[in-house]
Amino acid sequence: MAKKRHLISHTIYRIFLWCYALFSLYPLIWMGFNSLKNNQEIFETNPFGPPTAFRFENYIKALSQYNVPQYFINSIIVSVATVTFTIVLGMMFSYATSRMRWKGQNIAKIYVSMGMFIPIQALFIPIFLLISRMGIVNTHLSLILPYTAFNLAFSTLVFYGFFRSIPFELEEAACIDGAGIFRTFFKIIVPTIKPAIATLIIFIFLQSWNEFPLASILISDEGMKTLPLGLLFFQGSFSTEWGPMAATMVIASCPTVIIYILFSNQVEKAMTVGGAVKG
Amino acid sequence: MNTFFSNKKAIAIFVLPTLLLFTVIVFYPLLNVMYGSFFDYKGLTPQTFIGLEHYKRLMTDSLFYTSLKNGLIFAAIITVYQIVFATILAFAVNNATMKGRSFFRVVYFIPVVLSITVVCQLWLSILNAENGLLNQFFEIIGLDYQQDWLSDRYKAIFPISFTNAWQYMGYHFALILAGIKSIPQTYYEAAKIDGASTLKAHLKITIPMLAETYKFCLIMAVTGGLNAYTNMHIMTSGGPGTSTYTLTYMMVRSINKTYEFGYGMSSAVILVLECLLATIFINRLLARDRIQY
Repeated sequence: MAKKRHLISHTIYRIFLWCYALFSLYPLIWMGFNSLKNNQEIFETNPFGPPTAFRFENYIKALSQYNVPQYFINSIIVSVATVTFTIVLGMMFSYATSRMRWKGQNIAKIYVSMGMFIPIQALFIPIFLLISRMGIVNTHLSLILPYTAFNLAFSTLVFYGFFRSIPFELEEAACIDGAGIFRTFFKIIVPTIKPAIATLIIFIFLQSWNEFPLASILISDEGMKTLPLGLLFFQGSFSTEWGPMAATMVIASCPTVIIYILFSNQVEKAMTVGGAVKG
Repeated sequence: MNTFFSNKKAIAIFVLPTLLLFTVIVFYPLLNVMYGSFFDYKGLTPQTFIGLEHYKRLMTDSLFYTSLKNGLIFAAIITVYQIVFATILAFAVNNATMKGRSFFRVVYFIPVVLSITVVCQLWLSILNAENGLLNQFFEIIGLDYQQDWLSDRYKAIFPISFTNAWQYMGYHFALILAGIKSIPQTYYEAAKIDGASTLKAHLKITIPMLAETYKFCLIMAVTGGLNAYTNMHIMTSGGPGTSTYTLTYMMVRSINKTYEFGYGMSSAVILVLECLLATIFINRLLARDRIQY
Protein backbone atom coordinates (compact mmCIF):
# COMPACT_ATOMS: atom_id res chain seq x y z
CA MET A 1 0.00 0.00 0.00
CA ALA A 2 2.62 2.48 1.13
CA LYS A 3 4.83 1.43 -1.72
CA LYS A 4 2.06 1.98 -4.25
CA ARG A 5 1.30 5.40 -2.86
CA HIS A 6 4.97 6.22 -3.02
CA LEU A 7 5.08 5.18 -6.67
CA ILE A 8 2.13 7.42 -7.53
CA SER A 9 3.55 10.47 -5.78
CA HIS A 10 6.91 9.78 -7.36
CA THR A 11 5.35 9.71 -10.81
CA ILE A 12 3.45 12.94 -10.21
CA TYR A 13 6.62 14.63 -9.06
CA ARG A 14 8.47 13.34 -12.07
CA ILE A 15 5.87 14.66 -14.50
CA PHE A 16 5.98 17.99 -12.76
CA LEU A 17 9.78 18.13 -12.97
CA TRP A 18 9.68 17.42 -16.69
CA CYS A 19 6.91 19.95 -17.34
CA TYR A 20 8.81 22.70 -15.59
CA ALA A 21 12.05 21.71 -17.33
CA LEU A 22 10.27 22.08 -20.67
CA PHE A 23 8.82 25.41 -19.59
CA SER A 24 12.23 26.62 -18.46
CA LEU A 25 14.17 25.45 -21.47
CA TYR A 26 11.80 25.67 -24.43
CA PRO A 27 11.85 29.48 -24.76
CA LEU A 28 15.64 29.28 -25.05
CA ILE A 29 15.52 26.46 -27.55
CA TRP A 30 12.92 28.43 -29.50
CA MET A 31 15.32 31.38 -29.50
CA GLY A 32 18.02 29.09 -30.90
CA PHE A 33 15.61 27.77 -33.57
CA ASN A 34 14.58 31.28 -34.59
CA SER A 35 18.18 32.33 -34.98
CA LEU A 36 18.39 29.93 -37.93
CA LYS A 37 15.03 30.70 -39.53
CA ASN A 38 13.65 33.43 -41.74
CA ASN A 39 10.55 35.49 -40.97
CA GLN A 40 8.27 33.32 -43.05
CA GLU A 41 9.27 30.19 -41.21
CA ILE A 42 9.01 31.85 -37.80
CA PHE A 43 5.57 33.32 -38.38
CA GLU A 44 3.79 31.06 -40.77
CA THR A 45 5.19 27.74 -41.82
CA ASN A 46 7.03 26.49 -38.75
CA PRO A 47 6.71 28.57 -35.56
CA PHE A 48 7.44 25.80 -33.04
CA GLY A 49 9.80 23.22 -34.48
CA PRO A 50 13.48 23.09 -35.42
CA PRO A 51 14.55 25.01 -38.51
CA THR A 52 14.25 23.22 -41.85
CA ALA A 53 17.32 24.92 -43.24
CA PHE A 54 20.17 26.37 -41.23
CA ARG A 55 20.32 30.02 -42.13
CA PHE A 56 23.67 30.99 -40.70
CA GLU A 57 23.40 34.26 -42.61
CA ASN A 58 21.39 35.53 -39.63
CA TYR A 59 24.55 35.30 -37.54
CA ILE A 60 26.64 36.96 -40.22
CA LYS A 61 24.07 39.73 -40.42
CA ALA A 62 24.00 40.15 -36.64
CA LEU A 63 27.76 40.46 -36.56
CA SER A 64 28.23 42.63 -39.63
CA GLN A 65 25.20 44.94 -39.82
CA TYR A 66 24.67 45.73 -36.17
CA ASN A 67 27.17 46.87 -33.61
CA VAL A 68 27.21 43.51 -31.86
CA PRO A 69 31.01 42.96 -31.94
CA GLN A 70 31.55 46.43 -30.45
CA TYR A 71 29.03 45.74 -27.65
CA PHE A 72 30.70 42.43 -27.04
CA ILE A 73 34.14 44.02 -26.68
CA ASN A 74 32.77 46.71 -24.35
CA SER A 75 31.12 44.08 -22.18
CA ILE A 76 34.36 42.13 -21.98
CA ILE A 77 36.42 45.21 -21.07
CA VAL A 78 33.97 46.30 -18.38
CA SER A 79 33.48 42.82 -16.90
CA VAL A 80 37.14 41.82 -16.87
CA ALA A 81 38.22 45.13 -15.33
CA THR A 82 35.47 44.93 -12.71
CA VAL A 83 36.38 41.36 -11.80
CA THR A 84 40.08 42.22 -11.54
CA PHE A 85 39.63 45.35 -9.43
CA THR A 86 37.04 43.80 -7.15
CA ILE A 87 39.12 40.70 -6.50
CA VAL A 88 42.40 42.53 -5.88
CA LEU A 89 40.91 45.30 -3.73
CA GLY A 90 38.59 42.96 -1.83
CA MET A 91 41.40 40.51 -1.14
CA MET A 92 43.78 43.14 0.18
CA PHE A 93 41.11 44.83 2.27
CA SER A 94 39.92 41.60 3.85
CA TYR A 95 43.45 40.49 4.58
CA ALA A 96 44.15 43.71 6.44
CA THR A 97 40.87 43.56 8.37
CA SER A 98 40.98 39.86 9.19
CA ARG A 99 44.63 39.13 10.00
CA MET A 100 46.56 42.30 10.54
CA ARG A 101 46.27 44.29 13.75
CA TRP A 102 45.32 47.92 13.83
CA LYS A 103 42.86 50.24 15.45
CA GLY A 104 39.54 50.48 13.67
CA GLN A 105 39.85 47.26 11.72
CA ASN A 106 36.40 46.15 12.85
CA ILE A 107 34.81 49.47 12.05
CA ALA A 108 36.37 49.41 8.59
CA LYS A 109 35.06 45.91 7.98
CA ILE A 110 31.51 46.74 9.13
CA TYR A 111 31.56 49.98 7.16
CA VAL A 112 32.27 48.28 3.84
CA SER A 113 29.96 45.32 4.49
CA MET A 114 27.09 47.80 4.92
CA GLY A 115 27.09 47.87 1.14
CA MET A 116 25.22 44.56 1.20
CA PHE A 117 22.11 46.24 2.57
CA ILE A 118 21.91 49.37 0.44
CA PRO A 119 19.55 49.16 -2.54
CA ILE A 120 21.80 50.14 -5.42
CA GLN A 121 18.94 51.57 -7.48
CA ALA A 122 18.36 54.22 -4.82
CA LEU A 123 21.84 55.64 -5.48
CA PHE A 124 21.46 56.15 -9.21
CA ILE A 125 20.87 59.91 -9.17
CA PRO A 126 23.89 60.89 -7.05
CA ILE A 127 26.07 58.41 -8.94
CA PHE A 128 24.90 59.87 -12.23
CA LEU A 129 25.68 63.38 -10.96
CA LEU A 130 29.05 62.26 -9.61
CA ILE A 131 30.09 60.54 -12.81
CA SER A 132 28.97 63.58 -14.83
CA ARG A 133 30.97 65.89 -12.61
CA MET A 134 34.02 63.67 -12.98
CA GLY A 135 33.54 64.03 -16.72
CA ILE A 136 33.65 60.31 -17.43
CA VAL A 137 30.11 59.71 -18.71
CA ASN A 138 30.22 57.41 -21.75
CA THR A 139 33.53 55.81 -20.83
CA HIS A 140 34.25 52.27 -19.67
CA LEU A 141 35.48 53.70 -16.39
CA SER A 142 32.03 55.15 -15.63
CA LEU A 143 30.76 51.58 -15.32
CA ILE A 144 33.87 49.91 -13.92
CA LEU A 145 34.06 52.18 -10.87
CA PRO A 146 30.46 51.70 -9.67
CA TYR A 147 30.39 47.99 -10.53
CA THR A 148 33.57 47.47 -8.51
CA ALA A 149 32.27 49.53 -5.60
CA PHE A 150 28.95 47.65 -5.53
CA ASN A 151 30.64 44.25 -5.57
CA LEU A 152 33.20 45.11 -2.91
CA ALA A 153 30.92 44.52 0.08
CA PHE A 154 30.11 41.00 -0.98
CA SER A 155 33.64 40.03 -1.99
CA THR A 156 35.21 41.38 1.21
CA LEU A 157 32.77 39.31 3.25
CA VAL A 158 33.59 36.13 1.35
CA PHE A 159 37.36 36.72 1.56
CA TYR A 160 37.09 37.64 5.23
CA GLY A 161 35.55 34.26 6.00
CA PHE A 162 38.30 32.45 4.10
CA PHE A 163 41.16 34.40 5.68
CA ARG A 164 39.85 33.68 9.16
CA SER A 165 40.14 29.95 8.50
CA ILE A 166 43.86 29.94 7.60
CA PRO A 167 46.35 29.10 10.38
CA PHE A 168 48.66 31.91 11.45
CA GLU A 169 51.67 29.58 11.16
CA LEU A 170 51.74 30.37 7.45
CA GLU A 171 52.82 33.93 8.03
CA GLU A 172 55.09 32.96 10.89
CA ALA A 173 57.02 30.56 8.68
CA ALA A 174 57.25 33.13 5.92
CA CYS A 175 58.38 35.78 8.37
CA ILE A 176 61.13 33.56 9.75
CA ASP A 177 62.28 32.91 6.20
CA GLY A 178 62.65 36.64 5.85
CA ALA A 179 59.77 37.34 3.44
CA GLY A 180 58.12 40.77 3.68
CA ILE A 181 54.41 41.26 4.02
CA PHE A 182 53.70 41.86 0.33
CA ARG A 183 55.67 38.86 -0.76
CA THR A 184 54.01 36.69 1.88
CA PHE A 185 50.58 37.95 0.88
CA PHE A 186 50.89 37.41 -2.87
CA LYS A 187 53.07 34.27 -2.86
CA ILE A 188 51.71 32.37 0.12
CA ILE A 189 48.35 33.65 1.29
CA VAL A 190 46.66 34.32 -2.06
CA PRO A 191 47.23 30.79 -3.40
CA THR A 192 45.52 29.32 -0.33
CA ILE A 193 42.26 31.12 -1.08
CA LYS A 194 41.99 30.08 -4.72
CA PRO A 195 38.53 28.52 -4.24
CA ALA A 196 37.16 31.83 -2.96
CA ILE A 197 38.76 33.67 -5.85
CA ALA A 198 37.27 31.27 -8.40
CA THR A 199 33.82 31.60 -6.87
CA LEU A 200 33.97 35.36 -6.83
CA ILE A 201 35.32 35.63 -10.36
CA ILE A 202 32.24 33.82 -11.63
CA PHE A 203 29.82 35.74 -9.45
CA ILE A 204 31.17 39.18 -10.31
CA PHE A 205 31.56 38.34 -13.98
CA LEU A 206 27.90 37.31 -14.26
CA GLN A 207 26.79 40.41 -12.38
CA SER A 208 28.73 42.86 -14.48
CA TRP A 209 28.15 41.09 -17.80
CA ASN A 210 24.39 41.32 -17.29
CA GLU A 211 24.03 44.65 -15.49
CA PHE A 212 21.48 46.88 -17.17
CA PRO A 213 19.94 49.80 -15.20
CA LEU A 214 23.09 51.71 -14.32
CA ALA A 215 24.55 51.24 -17.80
CA SER A 216 21.32 52.59 -19.27
CA ILE A 217 21.77 55.81 -17.32
CA LEU A 218 25.50 56.32 -17.80
CA ILE A 219 26.02 55.20 -21.38
CA SER A 220 24.32 56.80 -24.35
CA ASP A 221 27.20 56.70 -26.81
CA GLU A 222 26.61 53.89 -29.29
CA GLY A 223 30.27 52.89 -29.33
CA MET A 224 30.41 52.49 -25.55
CA LYS A 225 27.30 50.39 -25.00
CA THR A 226 27.56 47.02 -23.32
CA LEU A 227 25.65 44.03 -24.67
CA PRO A 228 22.54 44.26 -22.45
CA LEU A 229 22.18 47.88 -23.49
CA GLY A 230 23.09 47.43 -27.12
CA LEU A 231 20.54 44.67 -27.56
CA LEU A 232 17.76 47.19 -27.07
CA PHE A 233 17.97 48.24 -30.71
CA PHE A 234 15.49 45.50 -31.49
CA GLN A 235 13.01 46.84 -28.97
CA GLY A 236 9.66 47.33 -30.60
CA SER A 237 10.79 46.15 -33.99
CA PHE A 238 8.90 42.87 -34.05
CA SER A 239 7.89 42.78 -37.64
CA THR A 240 11.32 43.45 -39.08
CA GLU A 241 14.05 40.89 -38.70
CA TRP A 242 13.46 38.16 -36.21
CA GLY A 243 16.19 35.84 -37.39
CA PRO A 244 19.12 38.24 -36.87
CA MET A 245 17.49 39.43 -33.65
CA ALA A 246 17.41 35.88 -32.28
CA ALA A 247 20.97 35.33 -33.52
CA THR A 248 22.10 38.42 -31.61
CA MET A 249 20.37 37.17 -28.48
CA VAL A 250 22.10 33.80 -28.82
CA ILE A 251 25.49 35.51 -29.26
CA ALA A 252 24.88 37.66 -26.17
CA SER A 253 23.91 34.62 -24.11
CA CYS A 254 26.77 32.37 -25.16
CA PRO A 255 29.47 33.50 -22.70
CA THR A 256 27.38 33.12 -19.57
CA VAL A 257 25.65 29.92 -20.67
CA ILE A 258 28.97 28.31 -21.64
CA ILE A 259 30.54 29.35 -18.33
CA TYR A 260 27.53 27.96 -16.53
CA ILE A 261 27.54 24.63 -18.33
CA LEU A 262 31.29 24.19 -17.80
CA PHE A 263 31.27 25.21 -14.15
CA SER A 264 27.67 24.62 -13.08
CA ASN A 265 28.60 23.52 -9.56
CA GLN A 266 30.91 26.44 -9.13
CA VAL A 267 28.39 28.94 -10.49
CA GLU A 268 25.61 27.74 -8.21
CA LYS A 269 27.98 27.82 -5.29
CA ALA A 270 28.96 31.35 -6.21
CA MET A 271 25.35 32.44 -6.39
CA THR A 272 24.24 30.65 -3.23
CA VAL A 273 27.22 31.70 -1.17
CA GLY A 274 25.47 35.06 -1.09
CA GLY A 275 22.73 33.35 0.89
CA ALA A 276 25.20 31.91 3.34
CA VAL A 277 26.89 35.24 3.86
CA LYS A 278 23.80 37.36 4.05
CA GLY A 279 21.56 35.00 6.03
CA MET B 1 55.86 38.92 14.07
CA ASN B 2 54.07 41.88 15.57
CA THR B 3 55.78 44.29 13.25
CA PHE B 4 54.77 42.00 10.41
CA PHE B 5 51.06 42.21 11.29
CA SER B 6 51.03 45.87 12.17
CA ASN B 7 53.04 47.17 9.25
CA LYS B 8 51.35 50.56 8.89
CA LYS B 9 52.41 51.14 5.33
CA ALA B 10 51.07 47.77 4.24
CA ILE B 11 47.77 48.33 6.04
CA ALA B 12 47.34 51.66 4.33
CA ILE B 13 48.05 50.18 0.91
CA PHE B 14 45.66 47.28 1.53
CA VAL B 15 42.81 49.26 3.02
CA LEU B 16 42.72 52.75 1.56
CA PRO B 17 41.74 52.02 -2.07
CA THR B 18 38.69 50.06 -0.97
CA LEU B 19 37.67 52.59 1.66
CA LEU B 20 38.07 55.41 -0.81
CA LEU B 21 36.09 53.75 -3.60
CA PHE B 22 33.33 52.60 -1.26
CA THR B 23 33.01 56.01 0.34
CA VAL B 24 32.91 57.90 -2.95
CA ILE B 25 30.59 55.58 -4.87
CA VAL B 26 28.32 54.07 -2.21
CA PHE B 27 28.40 55.89 1.10
CA TYR B 28 28.59 59.48 -0.08
CA PRO B 29 25.77 58.96 -2.62
CA LEU B 30 23.64 57.42 0.12
CA LEU B 31 24.01 60.54 2.26
CA ASN B 32 23.54 62.62 -0.85
CA VAL B 33 20.18 60.99 -1.60
CA MET B 34 18.83 61.72 1.86
CA TYR B 35 20.17 65.26 1.89
CA GLY B 36 19.31 66.02 -1.73
CA SER B 37 15.66 65.09 -1.29
CA PHE B 38 15.17 68.28 0.74
CA PHE B 39 16.44 70.49 -2.07
CA ASP B 40 15.06 71.75 -5.31
CA TYR B 41 17.77 70.80 -7.75
CA LYS B 42 17.37 70.63 -11.51
CA GLY B 43 20.98 70.17 -12.57
CA LEU B 44 21.81 73.62 -13.86
CA THR B 45 20.01 75.88 -11.40
CA PRO B 46 21.52 76.30 -7.91
CA GLN B 47 20.10 74.15 -5.14
CA THR B 48 17.48 75.70 -2.92
CA PHE B 49 16.38 74.20 0.36
CA ILE B 50 12.68 73.39 0.28
CA GLY B 51 12.33 71.06 3.26
CA LEU B 52 9.62 68.47 2.88
CA GLU B 53 8.06 69.94 -0.27
CA HIS B 54 9.09 66.98 -2.44
CA TYR B 55 7.54 64.55 0.00
CA LYS B 56 4.31 66.56 0.07
CA ARG B 57 4.31 66.52 -3.71
CA LEU B 58 4.85 62.76 -3.72
CA MET B 59 1.80 62.34 -1.49
CA THR B 60 -0.38 64.06 -4.07
CA ASP B 61 1.28 62.59 -7.16
CA SER B 62 -0.89 59.84 -8.63
CA LEU B 63 2.18 58.51 -10.44
CA PHE B 64 3.77 57.86 -7.05
CA TYR B 65 0.84 55.69 -5.98
CA THR B 66 0.82 53.84 -9.27
CA SER B 67 4.55 53.21 -8.89
CA LEU B 68 4.21 52.10 -5.29
CA LYS B 69 1.34 49.77 -6.14
CA ASN B 70 3.17 48.25 -9.12
CA GLY B 71 6.26 47.65 -7.01
CA LEU B 72 4.15 45.80 -4.45
CA ILE B 73 2.27 43.74 -7.06
CA PHE B 74 5.54 42.87 -8.80
CA ALA B 75 7.20 41.90 -5.50
CA ALA B 76 4.20 39.82 -4.42
CA ILE B 77 3.97 37.91 -7.70
CA ILE B 78 7.66 37.10 -8.02
CA THR B 79 7.94 36.16 -4.34
CA VAL B 80 5.02 33.75 -4.36
CA TYR B 81 5.87 32.25 -7.75
CA GLN B 82 9.57 31.80 -7.06
CA ILE B 83 9.33 30.45 -3.56
CA VAL B 84 6.44 28.07 -4.25
CA PHE B 85 7.95 26.58 -7.41
CA ALA B 86 11.48 26.58 -6.02
CA THR B 87 10.34 24.68 -2.93
CA ILE B 88 8.37 22.03 -4.81
CA LEU B 89 11.08 21.53 -7.42
CA ALA B 90 13.92 21.46 -4.91
CA PHE B 91 12.15 18.85 -2.78
CA ALA B 92 11.49 16.71 -5.84
CA VAL B 93 15.02 17.02 -7.21
CA ASN B 94 16.52 16.28 -3.81
CA ASN B 95 14.71 12.94 -3.71
CA ALA B 96 17.49 10.34 -3.96
CA THR B 97 15.46 8.00 -6.17
CA MET B 98 14.85 10.70 -8.77
CA LYS B 99 16.75 10.13 -12.02
CA GLY B 100 18.36 12.96 -13.97
CA ARG B 101 18.84 15.25 -11.00
CA SER B 102 21.81 17.13 -12.40
CA PHE B 103 19.92 17.67 -15.66
CA PHE B 104 17.01 19.29 -13.85
CA ARG B 105 19.35 21.40 -11.76
CA VAL B 106 21.07 22.81 -14.83
CA VAL B 107 17.84 23.39 -16.74
CA TYR B 108 16.09 25.26 -13.93
CA PHE B 109 19.10 27.47 -13.33
CA ILE B 110 20.01 28.43 -16.91
CA PRO B 111 17.60 31.42 -17.24
CA VAL B 112 19.31 33.00 -14.21
CA VAL B 113 22.60 33.45 -16.03
CA LEU B 114 21.04 35.08 -19.08
CA SER B 115 21.06 38.80 -19.55
CA ILE B 116 17.79 40.35 -18.41
CA THR B 117 17.62 42.16 -21.76
CA VAL B 118 17.67 38.86 -23.61
CA VAL B 119 14.97 37.40 -21.39
CA CYS B 120 12.75 40.46 -21.78
CA GLN B 121 13.12 40.51 -25.56
CA LEU B 122 12.53 36.79 -25.68
CA TRP B 123 9.27 37.05 -23.74
CA LEU B 124 8.28 40.12 -25.72
CA SER B 125 8.35 38.02 -28.83
CA ILE B 126 6.54 35.15 -27.12
CA LEU B 127 3.84 37.51 -25.84
CA ASN B 128 3.58 39.47 -29.07
CA ALA B 129 -0.05 40.11 -30.00
CA GLU B 130 0.06 39.36 -33.72
CA ASN B 131 2.32 36.39 -34.12
CA GLY B 132 3.75 35.68 -30.71
CA LEU B 133 4.35 32.08 -29.70
CA LEU B 134 1.77 32.11 -26.92
CA ASN B 135 -1.11 33.27 -29.11
CA GLN B 136 -0.11 30.80 -31.80
CA PHE B 137 -0.05 28.07 -29.19
CA PHE B 138 -3.61 28.92 -28.10
CA GLU B 139 -4.69 28.87 -31.71
CA ILE B 140 -3.23 25.41 -32.28
CA ILE B 141 -4.82 23.85 -29.22
CA GLY B 142 -8.10 25.54 -30.18
CA LEU B 143 -8.42 27.91 -27.25
CA ASP B 144 -9.88 31.32 -27.93
CA TYR B 145 -7.63 33.10 -25.51
CA GLN B 146 -5.42 35.16 -27.79
CA GLN B 147 -4.82 38.71 -26.69
CA ASP B 148 -2.46 41.63 -26.68
CA TRP B 149 -0.75 40.71 -23.44
CA LEU B 150 1.14 43.90 -22.77
CA SER B 151 -1.21 46.63 -23.95
CA ASP B 152 -3.88 46.44 -21.27
CA ARG B 153 -3.25 49.05 -18.62
CA TYR B 154 -4.70 46.90 -15.86
CA LYS B 155 -3.12 43.61 -16.84
CA ALA B 156 0.30 44.53 -18.30
CA ILE B 157 2.01 44.34 -14.92
CA PHE B 158 1.24 40.61 -14.68
CA PRO B 159 3.11 39.31 -17.73
CA ILE B 160 6.00 41.62 -16.82
CA SER B 161 6.16 40.21 -13.30
CA PHE B 162 5.88 36.72 -14.67
CA THR B 163 8.89 37.27 -16.93
CA ASN B 164 11.04 38.19 -13.96
CA ALA B 165 9.65 35.36 -11.83
CA TRP B 166 10.36 32.88 -14.62
CA GLN B 167 13.94 34.08 -15.03
CA TYR B 168 15.00 34.03 -11.38
CA MET B 169 13.05 31.05 -10.05
CA GLY B 170 16.19 28.96 -10.54
CA TYR B 171 18.15 31.17 -8.19
CA HIS B 172 15.77 30.43 -5.33
CA PHE B 173 15.66 26.80 -6.38
CA ALA B 174 19.46 26.58 -6.02
CA LEU B 175 19.37 28.31 -2.64
CA ILE B 176 16.69 26.00 -1.26
CA LEU B 177 18.36 22.90 -2.68
CA ALA B 178 21.65 23.94 -1.05
CA GLY B 179 19.75 24.51 2.19
CA ILE B 180 18.17 21.05 2.10
CA LYS B 181 21.56 19.45 1.45
CA SER B 182 23.00 21.04 4.57
CA ILE B 183 20.43 19.44 6.87
CA PRO B 184 22.01 16.41 8.58
CA GLN B 185 20.55 13.06 7.46
CA THR B 186 20.23 11.90 11.08
CA TYR B 187 17.07 13.97 11.48
CA TYR B 188 15.38 12.06 8.68
CA GLU B 189 16.57 8.73 10.01
CA ALA B 190 15.08 9.58 13.38
CA ALA B 191 11.82 10.63 11.72
CA LYS B 192 11.73 7.39 9.73
CA ILE B 193 12.15 5.33 12.89
CA ASP B 194 9.25 7.27 14.39
CA GLY B 195 7.21 6.28 11.35
CA ALA B 196 6.82 9.69 9.76
CA SER B 197 5.94 9.83 6.07
CA THR B 198 8.16 11.70 3.60
CA LEU B 199 5.67 14.55 3.34
CA LYS B 200 5.43 14.81 7.10
CA ALA B 201 9.21 14.76 7.44
CA HIS B 202 9.44 17.63 4.96
CA LEU B 203 6.80 19.66 6.74
CA LYS B 204 8.18 19.02 10.23
CA ILE B 205 11.91 18.95 9.56
CA THR B 206 12.94 20.42 6.21
CA ILE B 207 10.79 23.54 6.11
CA PRO B 208 11.50 24.68 9.70
CA MET B 209 15.20 23.92 9.23
CA LEU B 210 15.21 26.09 6.14
CA ALA B 211 14.05 29.18 8.03
CA GLU B 212 17.32 31.01 7.37
CA THR B 213 17.27 30.11 3.68
CA TYR B 214 13.67 31.23 3.33
CA LYS B 215 14.48 34.44 5.10
CA PHE B 216 17.18 35.18 2.55
CA CYS B 217 14.95 34.15 -0.38
CA LEU B 218 12.14 36.38 0.87
CA ILE B 219 14.40 39.38 1.37
CA MET B 220 15.94 38.91 -2.08
CA ALA B 221 12.58 38.50 -3.83
CA VAL B 222 10.75 41.28 -2.00
CA THR B 223 13.49 43.92 -2.15
CA GLY B 224 14.32 42.89 -5.72
CA GLY B 225 10.66 43.30 -6.58
CA LEU B 226 10.31 46.69 -4.95
CA ASN B 227 13.37 47.90 -6.88
CA ALA B 228 11.99 46.63 -10.19
CA TYR B 229 12.94 48.67 -13.21
CA THR B 230 14.56 46.80 -16.07
CA ASN B 231 11.62 44.56 -16.95
CA MET B 232 9.26 47.51 -17.23
CA HIS B 233 11.74 49.66 -19.05
CA ILE B 234 12.37 47.08 -21.75
CA MET B 235 8.96 45.47 -22.06
CA THR B 236 6.52 48.39 -21.88
CA SER B 237 8.54 51.59 -21.23
CA GLY B 238 6.31 52.14 -18.24
CA GLY B 239 3.18 51.96 -20.37
CA PRO B 240 0.48 51.69 -21.49
CA GLY B 241 0.38 55.30 -20.33
CA THR B 242 2.08 55.26 -16.97
CA SER B 243 0.44 52.03 -15.83
CA THR B 244 3.61 49.99 -15.29
CA TYR B 245 5.76 52.63 -13.57
CA THR B 246 7.72 51.69 -10.45
CA LEU B 247 9.59 53.86 -7.98
CA THR B 248 12.93 53.14 -9.63
CA TYR B 249 11.36 53.90 -13.00
CA MET B 250 10.09 57.23 -11.68
CA MET B 251 13.54 58.02 -10.36
CA VAL B 252 15.36 57.13 -13.57
CA ARG B 253 12.87 59.23 -15.51
CA SER B 254 13.86 62.18 -13.34
CA ILE B 255 17.41 61.70 -14.62
CA ASN B 256 16.66 61.22 -18.29
CA LYS B 257 13.52 63.23 -18.98
CA THR B 258 12.55 65.83 -16.42
CA TYR B 259 15.90 66.62 -14.73
CA GLU B 260 14.12 66.95 -11.39
CA PHE B 261 16.94 65.41 -9.41
CA GLY B 262 15.65 66.53 -6.01
CA TYR B 263 12.22 65.07 -6.65
CA GLY B 264 13.76 61.86 -7.95
CA MET B 265 15.85 61.57 -4.80
CA SER B 266 12.76 61.78 -2.62
CA SER B 267 11.37 58.69 -4.38
CA ALA B 268 14.77 57.06 -3.87
CA VAL B 269 14.48 57.73 -0.12
CA ILE B 270 11.03 56.12 -0.10
CA LEU B 271 12.57 53.16 -1.92
CA VAL B 272 15.31 52.78 0.70
CA LEU B 273 12.75 53.00 3.52
CA GLU B 274 10.51 50.48 1.80
CA CYS B 275 13.34 47.98 1.43
CA LEU B 276 14.46 48.57 5.00
CA LEU B 277 10.95 48.02 6.36
CA ALA B 278 10.50 44.88 4.28
CA THR B 279 13.84 43.48 5.53
CA ILE B 280 13.03 44.23 9.17
CA PHE B 281 9.56 42.76 8.80
CA ILE B 282 10.84 39.54 7.20
CA ASN B 283 13.55 39.23 9.85
CA ARG B 284 10.98 39.59 12.61
CA LEU B 285 8.61 37.18 10.92
CA LEU B 286 11.18 34.40 10.69
CA ALA B 287 13.30 35.15 13.73
CA ARG B 288 11.49 32.97 16.23
CA ASP B 289 14.12 30.37 16.85
CA ARG B 290 17.51 30.39 15.27
CA ILE B 291 18.43 26.92 14.20
CA GLN B 292 21.77 25.38 14.91
CA TYR B 293 23.17 22.05 13.91
